[in-house]
Amino acid sequence: MTGTSLFHEQTARQRIAAVVDAGSFVELLPPPERLTSPYLAQLGIPVSFDDGIVIGKAKIGGKKLYIAAQVGQFVGGAVGEIHGAKLTGLFKAAARDRVPCALVIESGGVRLHEGSAGEIAITETMRAIFECRAKKVPTIAVIGSDIGAYGGIGILSTCCDFRVMTEHGRLGISGPIVIEKWMGKKAYDSSNRALVWKTSGGKTKYLLGDADALVHDDAGAVREAIGKLLAKSSPVTLKNAKARQAALAKRLKRFGKTENPDDVWKGMGVRDIAAASLASGPEFVALAKTGRK
Amino acid sequence: MKQPSPRALLGKLFGGSAKGIAVEKSLITGYAQVGGKAVCVIGTCNGTYIGNEAALVLAAHVIDCIERHPRTPIVMLVDSAGQEPNRLDEMLGLASYFGHLLSCLEVARRKGHKLITIATGKAIGGAFICYGMFADRIYALDSASVGLMPIAAMSAVTKIPAAVLQKLSKTMPSLEFGAEPFALLGGVEEVWPSKGDTQARLAKAIAAASADDNRAALGKKRGGRKLALDIRNRVLAESAK
Repeated sequence: MTGTSLFHEQTARQRIAAVVDAGSFVELLPPPERLTSPYLAQLGIPVSFDDGIVIGKAKIGGKKLYIAAQVGQFVGGAVGEIHGAKLTGLFKAAARDRVPCALVIESGGVRLHEGSAGEIAITETMRAIFECRAKKVPTIAVIGSDIGAYGGIGILSTCCDFRVMTEHGRLGISGPIVIEKWMGKKAYDSSNRALVWKTSGGKTKYLLGDADALVHDDAGAVREAIGKLLAKSSPVTLKNAKARQAALAKRLKRFGKTENPDDVWKGMGVRDIAAASLASGPEFVALAKTGRK
Repeated sequence: MKQPSPRALLGKLFGGSAKGIAVEKSLITGYAQVGGKAVCVIGTCNGTYIGNEAALVLAAHVIDCIERHPRTPIVMLVDSAGQEPNRLDEMLGLASYFGHLLSCLEVARRKGHKLITIATGKAIGGAFICYGMFADRIYALDSASVGLMPIAAMSAVTKIPAAVLQKLSKTMPSLEFGAEPFALLGGVEEVWPSKGDTQARLAKAIAAASADDNRAALGKKRGGRKLALDIRNRVLAESAK
Protein backbone atom coordinates (compact mmCIF):
# COMPACT_ATOMS: atom_id res chain seq x y z
CA MET A 1 0.00 0.00 0.00
CA THR A 2 1.27 3.45 -0.87
CA GLY A 3 -1.27 5.12 1.36
CA THR A 4 -1.30 8.28 -0.77
CA SER A 5 -4.78 8.21 -2.27
CA LEU A 6 -7.62 5.90 -3.13
CA PHE A 7 -7.48 4.32 -6.59
CA HIS A 8 -11.13 5.04 -7.30
CA GLU A 9 -10.62 8.74 -6.61
CA GLN A 10 -7.71 9.11 -9.03
CA THR A 11 -7.94 10.34 -12.62
CA ALA A 12 -6.91 8.15 -15.55
CA ARG A 13 -3.46 9.74 -15.85
CA GLN A 14 -2.89 9.63 -12.10
CA ARG A 15 -3.83 5.96 -12.08
CA ILE A 16 -1.35 5.09 -14.82
CA ALA A 17 1.39 7.17 -13.21
CA ALA A 18 0.80 5.51 -9.84
CA VAL A 19 0.62 1.97 -11.23
CA VAL A 20 3.67 1.88 -13.55
CA ASP A 21 7.39 2.37 -12.82
CA ALA A 22 8.11 6.03 -12.11
CA GLY A 23 8.74 8.00 -15.30
CA SER A 24 8.28 4.97 -17.56
CA PHE A 25 4.98 5.96 -19.21
CA VAL A 26 5.09 7.22 -22.79
CA GLU A 27 1.67 8.28 -24.01
CA LEU A 28 0.65 7.45 -27.58
CA LEU A 29 -1.54 9.95 -29.47
CA PRO A 30 -1.38 12.33 -26.47
CA PRO A 31 -3.71 15.34 -26.05
CA PRO A 32 -1.56 17.72 -28.18
CA GLU A 33 -2.63 15.58 -31.15
CA ARG A 34 -6.16 16.88 -30.53
CA LEU A 35 -8.05 13.84 -31.70
CA THR A 36 -11.59 14.93 -30.92
CA SER A 37 -14.97 13.42 -31.65
CA PRO A 38 -16.71 14.95 -34.68
CA TYR A 39 -20.00 13.54 -33.39
CA LEU A 40 -19.86 15.43 -30.10
CA ALA A 41 -18.77 18.60 -31.91
CA GLN A 42 -21.81 18.39 -34.18
CA LEU A 43 -24.07 17.88 -31.18
CA GLY A 44 -22.60 20.89 -29.41
CA ILE A 45 -21.18 18.74 -26.59
CA PRO A 46 -17.69 19.52 -25.25
CA VAL A 47 -14.96 17.35 -26.74
CA SER A 48 -11.75 16.08 -25.17
CA PHE A 49 -8.30 16.05 -26.77
CA ASP A 50 -7.79 12.41 -25.83
CA ASP A 51 -11.41 11.36 -26.48
CA GLY A 52 -11.64 9.95 -22.99
CA ILE A 53 -8.86 7.39 -23.08
CA VAL A 54 -5.17 7.53 -22.25
CA ILE A 55 -3.00 4.93 -23.99
CA GLY A 56 0.71 4.25 -24.05
CA LYS A 57 3.67 2.08 -23.13
CA ALA A 58 5.27 1.71 -19.74
CA LYS A 59 7.02 -0.71 -17.39
CA ILE A 60 6.04 -2.43 -14.19
CA GLY A 61 8.92 -3.88 -12.20
CA GLY A 62 11.10 -3.31 -15.25
CA LYS A 63 8.82 -5.39 -17.48
CA LYS A 64 7.31 -3.78 -20.56
CA LEU A 65 3.58 -3.43 -20.96
CA TYR A 66 1.02 -1.49 -22.94
CA ILE A 67 -1.50 0.25 -20.74
CA ALA A 68 -4.72 2.21 -21.24
CA ALA A 69 -6.97 4.05 -18.81
CA GLN A 70 -10.45 5.34 -19.50
CA VAL A 71 -11.43 8.83 -18.35
CA GLY A 72 -14.69 8.54 -16.44
CA GLN A 73 -15.11 12.31 -16.13
CA PHE A 74 -15.53 12.54 -19.90
CA VAL A 75 -18.98 11.26 -21.00
CA GLY A 76 -18.75 8.49 -18.44
CA GLY A 77 -15.74 6.89 -20.10
CA ALA A 78 -18.04 5.74 -22.87
CA VAL A 79 -16.59 4.35 -26.07
CA GLY A 80 -16.85 6.42 -29.24
CA GLU A 81 -15.18 5.90 -32.61
CA ILE A 82 -11.81 7.46 -31.71
CA HIS A 83 -11.74 6.12 -28.14
CA GLY A 84 -12.42 2.62 -29.45
CA ALA A 85 -9.92 2.87 -32.31
CA LYS A 86 -7.15 3.90 -29.87
CA LEU A 87 -7.94 0.88 -27.75
CA THR A 88 -8.11 -1.52 -30.69
CA GLY A 89 -4.77 -0.20 -31.94
CA LEU A 90 -3.19 -0.69 -28.53
CA PHE A 91 -4.24 -4.34 -28.22
CA LYS A 92 -3.14 -4.96 -31.81
CA ALA A 93 0.24 -3.42 -31.00
CA ALA A 94 0.43 -5.68 -27.94
CA ALA A 95 -0.25 -8.74 -30.08
CA ARG A 96 2.30 -7.67 -32.69
CA ASP A 97 5.04 -6.93 -30.13
CA ARG A 98 4.08 -9.78 -27.77
CA VAL A 99 3.94 -7.31 -24.89
CA PRO A 100 1.22 -7.65 -22.21
CA CYS A 101 -1.62 -5.12 -22.25
CA ALA A 102 -3.60 -3.78 -19.28
CA LEU A 103 -6.80 -1.74 -19.50
CA VAL A 104 -7.86 0.34 -16.51
CA ILE A 105 -11.61 0.45 -17.02
CA GLU A 106 -13.99 3.25 -16.14
CA SER A 107 -16.87 3.05 -18.61
CA GLY A 108 -20.59 2.53 -18.95
CA GLY A 109 -20.08 1.02 -22.42
CA VAL A 110 -20.94 2.43 -25.83
CA ARG A 111 -21.09 6.24 -26.19
CA LEU A 112 -24.71 6.68 -27.23
CA HIS A 113 -24.02 10.06 -28.88
CA GLU A 114 -21.97 8.28 -31.51
CA GLY A 115 -24.50 5.57 -32.22
CA SER A 116 -23.38 2.33 -33.75
CA ALA A 117 -19.75 3.43 -34.36
CA GLY A 118 -18.88 2.84 -30.70
CA GLU A 119 -20.68 -0.50 -30.70
CA ILE A 120 -18.62 -1.74 -33.63
CA ALA A 121 -15.44 -0.35 -32.06
CA ILE A 122 -15.97 -2.41 -28.90
CA THR A 123 -16.27 -5.60 -30.93
CA GLU A 124 -13.15 -4.70 -32.92
CA THR A 125 -11.27 -4.31 -29.65
CA MET A 126 -12.59 -7.72 -28.54
CA ARG A 127 -11.16 -9.25 -31.72
CA ALA A 128 -7.81 -7.55 -31.00
CA ILE A 129 -7.85 -8.90 -27.41
CA PHE A 130 -8.29 -12.41 -28.75
CA GLU A 131 -5.40 -11.79 -31.17
CA CYS A 132 -3.27 -11.25 -28.07
CA ARG A 133 -4.66 -14.35 -26.41
CA ALA A 134 -3.96 -16.53 -29.44
CA LYS A 135 -0.30 -15.54 -29.02
CA LYS A 136 -0.43 -16.05 -25.24
CA VAL A 137 0.14 -12.32 -24.72
CA PRO A 138 -1.48 -11.51 -21.35
CA THR A 139 -4.45 -9.12 -21.34
CA ILE A 140 -5.57 -7.69 -18.01
CA ALA A 141 -8.68 -5.66 -17.16
CA VAL A 142 -8.54 -3.53 -14.02
CA ILE A 143 -11.94 -2.67 -12.55
CA GLY A 144 -11.83 -0.33 -9.59
CA SER A 145 -13.58 2.89 -10.48
CA ASP A 146 -16.82 4.57 -9.45
CA ILE A 147 -18.43 4.01 -12.84
CA GLY A 148 -17.29 0.41 -13.09
CA ALA A 149 -17.30 -1.77 -16.21
CA TYR A 150 -20.77 -1.88 -17.75
CA GLY A 151 -22.48 -2.47 -21.07
CA GLY A 152 -20.24 -3.60 -23.90
CA ILE A 153 -17.16 -2.79 -21.81
CA GLY A 154 -18.40 -5.19 -19.11
CA ILE A 155 -18.53 -7.92 -21.76
CA LEU A 156 -15.16 -6.83 -23.18
CA SER A 157 -13.54 -7.14 -19.75
CA THR A 158 -14.56 -10.81 -19.65
CA CYS A 159 -12.71 -11.38 -22.94
CA CYS A 160 -9.38 -10.57 -21.24
CA ASP A 161 -7.21 -13.27 -19.66
CA PHE A 162 -7.59 -11.75 -16.19
CA ARG A 163 -9.66 -9.25 -14.21
CA VAL A 164 -8.18 -7.40 -11.26
CA MET A 165 -10.89 -5.80 -9.12
CA THR A 166 -10.97 -3.68 -6.00
CA GLU A 167 -13.82 -3.89 -3.50
CA HIS A 168 -14.93 -0.61 -5.04
CA GLY A 169 -15.16 -1.88 -8.62
CA ARG A 170 -18.30 -3.19 -10.28
CA LEU A 171 -18.70 -5.46 -13.28
CA GLY A 172 -21.92 -6.03 -15.21
CA ILE A 173 -23.93 -5.20 -18.30
CA SER A 174 -27.10 -3.40 -17.17
CA GLY A 175 -26.55 -0.95 -14.33
CA PRO A 176 -28.78 -0.76 -11.23
CA ILE A 177 -30.85 2.22 -12.41
CA VAL A 178 -31.74 0.50 -15.69
CA ILE A 179 -32.71 -2.69 -13.87
CA GLU A 180 -34.78 -0.82 -11.31
CA LYS A 181 -36.63 0.94 -14.13
CA TRP A 182 -37.29 -2.42 -15.77
CA MET A 183 -38.13 -4.63 -12.78
CA GLY A 184 -39.39 -2.10 -10.28
CA LYS A 185 -37.94 -0.76 -7.04
CA LYS A 186 -39.14 -3.80 -5.13
CA ALA A 187 -37.00 -6.15 -7.20
CA TYR A 188 -33.96 -3.88 -7.29
CA ASP A 189 -33.63 -0.69 -5.30
CA SER A 190 -30.75 1.12 -7.00
CA SER A 191 -30.27 3.37 -3.97
CA ASN A 192 -29.50 0.34 -1.79
CA ARG A 193 -25.73 0.55 -2.11
CA ALA A 194 -25.08 -2.67 -0.20
CA LEU A 195 -27.34 -4.60 -2.59
CA VAL A 196 -25.83 -2.90 -5.66
CA TRP A 197 -22.30 -3.81 -4.58
CA LYS A 198 -23.24 -7.35 -3.61
CA THR A 199 -24.84 -7.75 -7.05
CA SER A 200 -22.02 -6.41 -9.20
CA GLY A 201 -19.15 -5.51 -6.86
CA GLY A 202 -15.67 -6.95 -6.69
CA LYS A 203 -16.30 -9.19 -3.69
CA THR A 204 -19.14 -11.15 -5.32
CA LYS A 205 -17.26 -11.33 -8.63
CA TYR A 206 -14.16 -12.63 -6.87
CA LEU A 207 -16.15 -15.17 -4.91
CA LEU A 208 -17.77 -16.55 -8.06
CA GLY A 209 -14.43 -16.66 -9.86
CA ASP A 210 -15.05 -13.88 -12.40
CA ALA A 211 -12.40 -11.63 -10.86
CA ASP A 212 -8.96 -13.22 -10.58
CA ALA A 213 -7.68 -10.84 -7.91
CA LEU A 214 -9.43 -8.67 -5.36
CA VAL A 215 -7.15 -5.98 -4.02
CA HIS A 216 -7.27 -2.90 -1.85
CA ASP A 217 -8.53 0.35 -3.38
CA ASP A 218 -4.98 1.58 -3.83
CA ALA A 219 -2.68 2.06 -6.83
CA GLY A 220 0.19 0.17 -5.16
CA ALA A 221 -2.02 -2.86 -4.65
CA VAL A 222 -3.27 -2.70 -8.24
CA ARG A 223 0.33 -2.41 -9.46
CA GLU A 224 1.34 -5.47 -7.50
CA ALA A 225 -1.62 -7.49 -8.86
CA ILE A 226 -0.87 -6.53 -12.49
CA GLY A 227 2.82 -7.30 -11.95
CA LYS A 228 1.99 -10.83 -10.81
CA LEU A 229 -0.10 -11.50 -13.93
CA LEU A 230 2.33 -10.16 -16.55
CA ALA A 231 4.00 -13.52 -17.03
CA LYS A 232 0.79 -15.58 -17.01
CA SER A 233 -1.92 -16.26 -19.56
CA SER A 234 -5.20 -18.10 -19.74
CA PRO A 235 -5.17 -19.88 -23.11
CA VAL A 236 -8.33 -19.99 -25.23
CA THR A 237 -8.57 -23.74 -25.72
CA LEU A 238 -11.34 -26.28 -26.11
CA LYS A 239 -10.35 -27.85 -22.80
CA ASN A 240 -10.65 -24.53 -20.97
CA ALA A 241 -13.91 -23.69 -22.73
CA LYS A 242 -15.41 -27.01 -21.64
CA ALA A 243 -14.28 -26.53 -18.05
CA ARG A 244 -15.75 -23.03 -18.04
CA GLN A 245 -19.03 -24.31 -19.53
CA ALA A 246 -19.30 -26.84 -16.70
CA ALA A 247 -18.45 -24.25 -14.05
CA LEU A 248 -20.94 -21.69 -15.34
CA ALA A 249 -23.67 -24.34 -15.64
CA LYS A 250 -23.01 -25.43 -12.07
CA ARG A 251 -23.19 -21.83 -10.86
CA LEU A 252 -26.53 -21.31 -12.58
CA LYS A 253 -27.91 -24.54 -11.18
CA ARG A 254 -26.85 -23.68 -7.65
CA PHE A 255 -27.78 -20.02 -7.52
CA GLY A 256 -30.09 -19.37 -10.49
CA LYS A 257 -33.07 -18.79 -8.22
CA THR A 258 -31.22 -17.23 -5.31
CA GLU A 259 -32.60 -13.75 -4.64
CA ASN A 260 -30.37 -12.69 -1.77
CA PRO A 261 -26.68 -12.18 -2.54
CA ASP A 262 -25.89 -13.07 1.10
CA ASP A 263 -27.10 -16.59 0.29
CA VAL A 264 -24.66 -16.74 -2.63
CA TRP A 265 -21.88 -15.63 -0.28
CA LYS A 266 -22.90 -18.27 2.27
CA GLY A 267 -23.15 -20.89 -0.47
CA MET A 268 -19.61 -20.01 -1.51
CA GLY A 269 -18.36 -20.56 2.03
CA VAL A 270 -18.44 -17.10 3.61
CA ARG A 271 -19.47 -17.73 7.22
CA ASP A 272 -19.61 -14.27 8.75
CA ILE A 273 -21.57 -12.08 6.30
CA ALA A 274 -21.37 -8.95 8.49
CA ALA A 275 -17.59 -9.20 8.82
CA ALA A 276 -17.18 -9.98 5.12
CA SER A 277 -19.33 -6.99 4.15
CA LEU A 278 -17.05 -4.63 6.05
CA ALA A 279 -13.81 -6.34 5.06
CA SER A 280 -11.30 -4.71 2.71
CA GLY A 281 -10.46 -6.56 -0.50
CA PRO A 282 -7.51 -8.52 0.90
CA GLU A 283 -9.34 -9.26 4.16
CA PHE A 284 -12.27 -10.60 2.15
CA VAL A 285 -9.93 -12.80 0.10
CA ALA A 286 -8.67 -14.32 3.35
CA LEU A 287 -12.25 -14.88 4.58
CA ALA A 288 -13.33 -16.35 1.24
CA LYS A 289 -10.39 -18.69 0.76
CA THR A 290 -12.28 -21.89 1.39
CA GLY A 291 -15.43 -20.88 -0.48
CA ARG A 292 -13.78 -20.11 -3.78
CA LYS A 293 -12.38 -23.59 -4.35
CA MET B 1 -42.01 -5.09 -42.30
CA LYS B 2 -43.75 -8.29 -41.20
CA GLN B 3 -41.28 -10.88 -39.96
CA PRO B 4 -41.58 -14.48 -41.20
CA SER B 5 -41.97 -17.22 -38.57
CA PRO B 6 -38.72 -18.77 -37.32
CA ARG B 7 -39.46 -21.99 -39.20
CA ALA B 8 -40.25 -20.14 -42.43
CA LEU B 9 -37.02 -18.21 -42.10
CA LEU B 10 -34.95 -21.36 -41.45
CA GLY B 11 -36.61 -23.01 -44.47
CA LYS B 12 -35.66 -20.04 -46.60
CA LEU B 13 -32.04 -20.13 -45.44
CA PHE B 14 -31.45 -23.89 -45.32
CA GLY B 15 -34.22 -25.45 -47.45
CA GLY B 16 -35.23 -28.99 -46.48
CA SER B 17 -32.10 -29.41 -44.37
CA ALA B 18 -33.64 -26.99 -41.84
CA LYS B 19 -35.34 -30.01 -40.25
CA GLY B 20 -32.07 -30.68 -38.45
CA ILE B 21 -32.38 -27.41 -36.56
CA ALA B 22 -34.20 -27.17 -33.23
CA VAL B 23 -36.06 -24.07 -32.10
CA GLU B 24 -36.65 -24.08 -28.38
CA LYS B 25 -37.46 -21.12 -26.15
CA SER B 26 -36.59 -18.88 -29.11
CA LEU B 27 -33.07 -20.33 -29.26
CA ILE B 28 -31.85 -21.96 -32.44
CA THR B 29 -29.36 -24.86 -32.43
CA GLY B 30 -28.66 -27.58 -34.94
CA TYR B 31 -27.00 -28.67 -38.14
CA ALA B 32 -28.09 -28.09 -41.71
CA GLN B 33 -26.71 -27.85 -45.22
CA VAL B 34 -25.78 -24.94 -47.44
CA GLY B 35 -24.90 -25.64 -51.05
CA GLY B 36 -24.67 -29.35 -50.23
CA LYS B 37 -22.16 -28.78 -47.40
CA ALA B 38 -22.78 -29.17 -43.68
CA VAL B 39 -23.08 -26.13 -41.44
CA CYS B 40 -23.68 -25.67 -37.73
CA VAL B 41 -26.41 -23.20 -36.82
CA ILE B 42 -26.86 -21.22 -33.61
CA GLY B 43 -29.05 -18.24 -32.97
CA THR B 44 -32.04 -16.43 -31.57
CA CYS B 45 -35.50 -15.70 -32.95
CA ASN B 46 -38.76 -13.95 -32.09
CA GLY B 47 -36.76 -10.94 -30.85
CA THR B 48 -36.22 -12.85 -27.61
CA TYR B 49 -34.29 -11.66 -24.59
CA ILE B 50 -31.16 -13.60 -23.77
CA GLY B 51 -29.51 -14.23 -20.44
CA ASN B 52 -27.15 -16.63 -18.69
CA GLU B 53 -29.11 -19.74 -19.62
CA ALA B 54 -29.34 -18.80 -23.32
CA ALA B 55 -25.60 -18.06 -23.49
CA LEU B 56 -24.87 -21.55 -22.10
CA VAL B 57 -27.22 -23.25 -24.58
CA LEU B 58 -25.55 -21.53 -27.54
CA ALA B 59 -22.04 -22.09 -26.15
CA ALA B 60 -22.78 -25.80 -25.61
CA HIS B 61 -23.75 -26.15 -29.25
CA VAL B 62 -20.57 -24.41 -30.41
CA ILE B 63 -18.55 -26.82 -28.26
CA ASP B 64 -20.51 -29.76 -29.70
CA CYS B 65 -19.69 -28.57 -33.22
CA ILE B 66 -15.97 -28.19 -32.46
CA GLU B 67 -15.81 -31.67 -30.95
CA ARG B 68 -17.97 -33.61 -33.37
CA HIS B 69 -17.79 -31.66 -36.63
CA PRO B 70 -14.29 -30.22 -37.03
CA ARG B 71 -13.97 -27.18 -39.29
CA THR B 72 -17.70 -27.09 -40.08
CA PRO B 73 -18.76 -23.48 -40.70
CA ILE B 74 -20.94 -21.95 -38.00
CA VAL B 75 -23.86 -19.78 -39.10
CA MET B 76 -25.17 -17.41 -36.43
CA LEU B 77 -28.67 -15.98 -36.73
CA VAL B 78 -29.53 -12.90 -34.70
CA ASP B 79 -33.04 -11.83 -33.73
CA SER B 80 -32.83 -10.73 -30.12
CA ALA B 81 -33.68 -7.64 -28.11
CA GLY B 82 -30.57 -8.23 -26.01
CA GLN B 83 -30.21 -8.88 -22.33
CA GLU B 84 -33.29 -8.37 -20.23
CA PRO B 85 -32.27 -6.10 -17.36
CA ASN B 86 -32.30 -8.59 -14.52
CA ARG B 87 -30.62 -8.47 -11.12
CA LEU B 88 -30.17 -12.22 -10.68
CA ASP B 89 -28.48 -12.71 -14.05
CA GLU B 90 -26.24 -9.74 -13.29
CA MET B 91 -25.38 -11.07 -9.84
CA LEU B 92 -24.30 -14.41 -11.30
CA GLY B 93 -22.19 -12.71 -13.96
CA LEU B 94 -24.14 -12.13 -17.18
CA ALA B 95 -21.07 -10.47 -18.71
CA SER B 96 -19.05 -13.61 -17.95
CA TYR B 97 -21.65 -15.86 -19.57
CA PHE B 98 -21.56 -13.74 -22.71
CA GLY B 99 -17.76 -13.62 -22.57
CA HIS B 100 -17.74 -17.42 -22.36
CA LEU B 101 -19.90 -17.66 -25.50
CA LEU B 102 -17.43 -15.38 -27.29
CA SER B 103 -14.49 -17.49 -26.07
CA CYS B 104 -16.13 -20.66 -27.43
CA LEU B 105 -16.58 -18.96 -30.80
CA GLU B 106 -12.92 -17.90 -30.70
CA VAL B 107 -11.86 -21.51 -30.05
CA ALA B 108 -13.93 -22.50 -33.09
CA ARG B 109 -12.34 -19.79 -35.24
CA ARG B 110 -8.83 -20.85 -34.22
CA LYS B 111 -9.66 -24.45 -35.04
CA GLY B 112 -10.67 -23.54 -38.58
CA HIS B 113 -14.44 -23.08 -38.35
CA LYS B 114 -15.64 -20.19 -40.46
CA LEU B 115 -18.08 -17.93 -38.61
CA ILE B 116 -20.87 -16.21 -40.54
CA THR B 117 -23.60 -14.05 -39.02
CA ILE B 118 -26.93 -13.14 -40.55
CA ALA B 119 -28.93 -10.49 -38.71
CA THR B 120 -32.43 -11.74 -39.40
CA GLY B 121 -34.53 -9.62 -37.05
CA LYS B 122 -33.55 -7.51 -34.08
CA ALA B 123 -29.80 -7.09 -33.84
CA ILE B 124 -29.61 -4.36 -31.27
CA GLY B 125 -26.93 -3.36 -28.79
CA GLY B 126 -25.83 -6.16 -26.45
CA ALA B 127 -27.69 -8.84 -28.40
CA PHE B 128 -25.48 -8.23 -31.39
CA ILE B 129 -22.29 -7.77 -29.36
CA CYS B 130 -22.53 -11.04 -27.45
CA TYR B 131 -22.12 -13.32 -30.46
CA GLY B 132 -23.26 -12.01 -33.88
CA MET B 133 -20.69 -9.25 -34.23
CA PHE B 134 -17.93 -11.72 -33.44
CA ALA B 135 -18.26 -13.50 -36.80
CA ASP B 136 -15.63 -13.45 -39.54
CA ARG B 137 -18.19 -11.83 -41.84
CA ILE B 138 -21.53 -10.30 -40.88
CA TYR B 139 -24.56 -10.01 -43.15
CA ALA B 140 -28.05 -8.61 -42.58
CA LEU B 141 -31.41 -9.09 -44.22
CA ASP B 142 -32.85 -5.78 -45.38
CA SER B 143 -35.80 -6.40 -43.05
CA ALA B 144 -33.54 -6.63 -39.97
CA SER B 145 -33.35 -3.95 -37.29
CA VAL B 146 -29.62 -3.38 -36.94
CA GLY B 147 -27.85 -0.79 -34.84
CA LEU B 148 -27.16 0.47 -31.36
CA MET B 149 -30.69 1.77 -30.85
CA PRO B 150 -33.42 3.62 -32.75
CA ILE B 151 -33.20 7.41 -32.75
CA ALA B 152 -36.20 7.80 -30.41
CA ALA B 153 -34.46 5.67 -27.76
CA MET B 154 -31.16 7.49 -28.27
CA SER B 155 -32.96 10.80 -27.84
CA ALA B 156 -34.65 9.61 -24.64
CA VAL B 157 -31.34 8.61 -23.06
CA THR B 158 -29.10 11.42 -24.28
CA LYS B 159 -31.81 14.14 -23.92
CA ILE B 160 -30.88 15.38 -27.39
CA PRO B 161 -34.06 16.17 -29.39
CA ALA B 162 -34.92 13.42 -31.88
CA ALA B 163 -35.22 16.01 -34.67
CA VAL B 164 -31.58 17.03 -34.12
CA LEU B 165 -30.38 13.42 -34.22
CA GLN B 166 -32.56 12.74 -37.28
CA LYS B 167 -31.04 15.66 -39.14
CA LEU B 168 -27.46 14.74 -38.19
CA SER B 169 -28.01 11.11 -39.16
CA LYS B 170 -28.25 12.23 -42.80
CA THR B 171 -24.53 12.99 -42.75
CA MET B 172 -23.58 10.62 -39.90
CA PRO B 173 -24.91 7.14 -40.67
CA SER B 174 -23.66 5.97 -37.28
CA LEU B 175 -26.65 7.73 -35.70
CA GLU B 176 -29.13 6.20 -38.10
CA PHE B 177 -30.76 2.90 -37.28
CA GLY B 178 -30.92 0.07 -39.81
CA ALA B 179 -28.98 -2.48 -41.83
CA GLU B 180 -27.96 -0.08 -44.63
CA PRO B 181 -26.39 2.61 -42.44
CA PHE B 182 -24.72 -0.13 -40.37
CA ALA B 183 -23.18 -1.44 -43.61
CA LEU B 184 -21.84 2.07 -44.37
CA LEU B 185 -19.91 1.82 -41.07
CA GLY B 186 -18.45 -1.49 -42.18
CA GLY B 187 -20.37 -3.31 -39.45
CA VAL B 188 -22.19 -5.38 -42.05
CA GLU B 189 -20.45 -6.75 -45.13
CA GLU B 190 -23.56 -6.78 -47.29
CA VAL B 191 -27.31 -6.31 -46.91
CA TRP B 192 -29.37 -9.07 -48.47
CA PRO B 193 -32.85 -8.55 -49.93
CA SER B 194 -35.28 -10.69 -47.91
CA LYS B 195 -37.00 -11.77 -51.08
CA GLY B 196 -33.77 -12.81 -52.83
CA ASP B 197 -31.97 -16.14 -53.04
CA THR B 198 -30.43 -16.18 -49.58
CA GLN B 199 -29.24 -19.80 -49.89
CA ALA B 200 -26.98 -18.93 -52.80
CA ARG B 201 -25.79 -15.79 -51.04
CA LEU B 202 -25.02 -17.73 -47.86
CA ALA B 203 -23.07 -20.39 -49.77
CA LYS B 204 -21.00 -17.67 -51.41
CA ALA B 205 -20.49 -15.89 -48.09
CA ILE B 206 -19.20 -19.05 -46.42
CA ALA B 207 -16.81 -19.75 -49.28
CA ALA B 208 -15.45 -16.19 -49.19
CA ALA B 209 -15.18 -15.79 -45.41
CA SER B 210 -11.84 -14.89 -43.91
CA ALA B 211 -10.95 -14.37 -40.26
CA ASP B 212 -9.31 -10.96 -40.79
CA ASP B 213 -11.44 -8.23 -39.27
CA ASN B 214 -12.03 -5.95 -42.30
CA ARG B 215 -14.70 -3.73 -40.76
CA ALA B 216 -12.67 -0.58 -40.09
CA ALA B 217 -11.30 -0.67 -43.65
CA LEU B 218 -14.82 -1.15 -45.03
CA GLY B 219 -16.15 1.70 -42.90
CA LYS B 220 -13.49 4.02 -44.29
CA LYS B 221 -14.03 2.92 -47.88
CA ARG B 222 -17.78 3.34 -47.60
CA GLY B 223 -17.41 6.66 -45.83
CA GLY B 224 -19.57 5.87 -42.80
CA ARG B 225 -16.75 5.50 -40.30
CA LYS B 226 -13.88 7.60 -41.53
CA LEU B 227 -11.57 7.76 -38.51
CA ALA B 228 -11.32 4.29 -36.97
CA LEU B 229 -8.84 2.69 -39.37
CA ASP B 230 -6.45 5.67 -39.53
CA ILE B 231 -6.37 6.11 -35.76
CA ARG B 232 -5.74 2.42 -35.20
CA ASN B 233 -2.92 2.54 -37.75
CA ARG B 234 -1.41 5.60 -36.10
CA VAL B 235 -1.33 3.77 -32.77
CA LEU B 236 0.37 0.84 -34.50
CA ALA B 237 2.92 3.09 -36.23
CA GLU B 238 3.75 5.22 -33.21
CA SER B 239 3.99 2.30 -30.81
CA ALA B 240 6.57 0.71 -33.11
CA LYS B 241 8.91 3.71 -32.82
